[in-house]
Amino acid sequence: MATKTKKFEDELKDLEKIVDQIDSGELSLEESIAAFERGVMLVKALNGKLDEVERKVELLTRSAGGELRTAPFEGSPDDKHPSGAKDEDETPS
Amino acid sequence: MVRDALDANLGEHWVVGEISNARLAPSNHFYFTLKDSRSAINVVMFKSAFNRMRFKPADGMEVLVRGRVQIFEQRGALQLYAEEMEPRGAGALQLAFEQLKRRLEAEGLFDRARKRAMPYLPRRIGIVTARGGAGLRDMLRILFDRFPNLHVIFRPAKVQGDGAAKEIADAIDDLNRDGRAELLIVGRGGGSLEDLWAFNEEIVARAIFRSAIPVISAVGHEVDYTIADFVADLRAPTPTAAAQIAVPSRAELTERVASLGASLATVMQRELSGRRESVDDLAARIRHPGVAIARARERVAEVEGELADAVSSRITEWRRSVRELRLRLRSPEAMVREMRLAASRLGNSLVHGAQSALEARRRRLAATAGRLDALSPLKVLDRGYAVVINRRDSRAVLDAATVMPDDELDIRLARGRVSARATGRAI
Repeated sequence: MATKTKKFEDELKDLEKIVDQIDSGELSLEESIAAFERGVMLVKALNGKLDEVERKVELLTRSAGGELRTAPFEGSPDDKHPSGAKDEDETPS
Repeated sequence: MVRDALDANLGEHWVVGEISNARLAPSNHFYFTLKDSRSAINVVMFKSAFNRMRFKPADGMEVLVRGRVQIFEQRGALQLYAEEMEPRGAGALQLAFEQLKRRLEAEGLFDRARKRAMPYLPRRIGIVTARGGAGLRDMLRILFDRFPNLHVIFRPAKVQGDGAAKEIADAIDDLNRDGRAELLIVGRGGGSLEDLWAFNEEIVARAIFRSAIPVISAVGHEVDYTIADFVADLRAPTPTAAAQIAVPSRAELTERVASLGASLATVMQRELSGRRESVDDLAARIRHPGVAIARARERVAEVEGELADAVSSRITEWRRSVRELRLRLRSPEAMVREMRLAASRLGNSLVHGAQSALEARRRRLAATAGRLDALSPLKVLDRGYAVVINRRDSRAVLDAATVMPDDELDIRLARGRVSARATGRAI
């Protein structure tokens, strides 16, 4: 489906255009219905894109051998007990 | 002052003078003459010390040099072996900054044309900063405020002190190798010029330049400008600002989509009700044929009556004339015969005229009925409309709200019917 690969902002523009087109009354009944159905699909796709990703903070590190590793990162702001410890190599602002 | 240094014991000294005859040997050892108005001494700075320097010395530059004075035995000359050198006047860091900036600018690293566009909706953000630093805390807080379901890939890096520049550059490279982030924020909270120095290093600038992922720089406070800021695709004045620029507000976007969805429903409803009105309009007119036919029949009857009256009154009139003429004429028989003939001819033509007038009206009536037929609801079906009847109450479905799940529906098409079951609805 074309909407899968389209960018969010492009789909948003498409949806605006569809609303304007139907509103203009220039479409035939069949065209209006087709545009409406595409609009409904776009609303779903846009909401899907906003929901697509799961909230998480990942820690990316490099092993001595140069391999990349990822692990969940504790210390994200929604943790109940933030690490609090400041790195000695940065002066707090 | 050169002489002063020579007068003192051989050993470590700080010497001030102007560089002349500067020459970088292929070995990367740096040779020059340090002179003032009265004296001069040859200086050598070995590769290791030279490479540590942040600025590039050149002829005419006034510098402060720390080094050991020793005899270069092969030539029997005294020579200063420089360990460290700093420009006088402008600070070494400032000079190094200006020099690197000029060089990278000339090379095109700051060109606007090559800056990558910021993604509108990045859902995976890579962050390069110190673990547990103020910058990280600020960024995560703002990022999640604006977009609660965001995926952050944090690649910690030392951001000040020895090796910091290398770590920052490696971190940018690693996030590119990982490849999932759609946008990188590289930075740290505020600090002194020295604290921020890593972001003025060439390897950091080059790592930002070669990143395939767009980079926002976010170093220190608003007033701090670093080389990283010039190379980055976008410079944020602070880490907090970077987080604000990086992601849109999810709440705003959700609202925008919802309001567009509502507008879509509204305009479609208006469009449909407009069309329903014109269909209702037609339907209202479709009730007319009976009335119209009855009216036409009445009219025809009226006309028939009128014609009959007209014909009979004419015939009576002619008969009277015939009678009168018969009385007045001398050869009445002939005259009467003639008159009778004429009278019957005229009578015939009158009846004939009345008949053809009737015929024309009948034809017109038929044509009107045909036109009305074209507007009948069944013809509407021919144009692709369908009538949906809910079997539960045998009524036409006008509103999705009246349909319950699993209701059996009859869809009447132009030709035939289709049975269906309601599996879902949207109101």
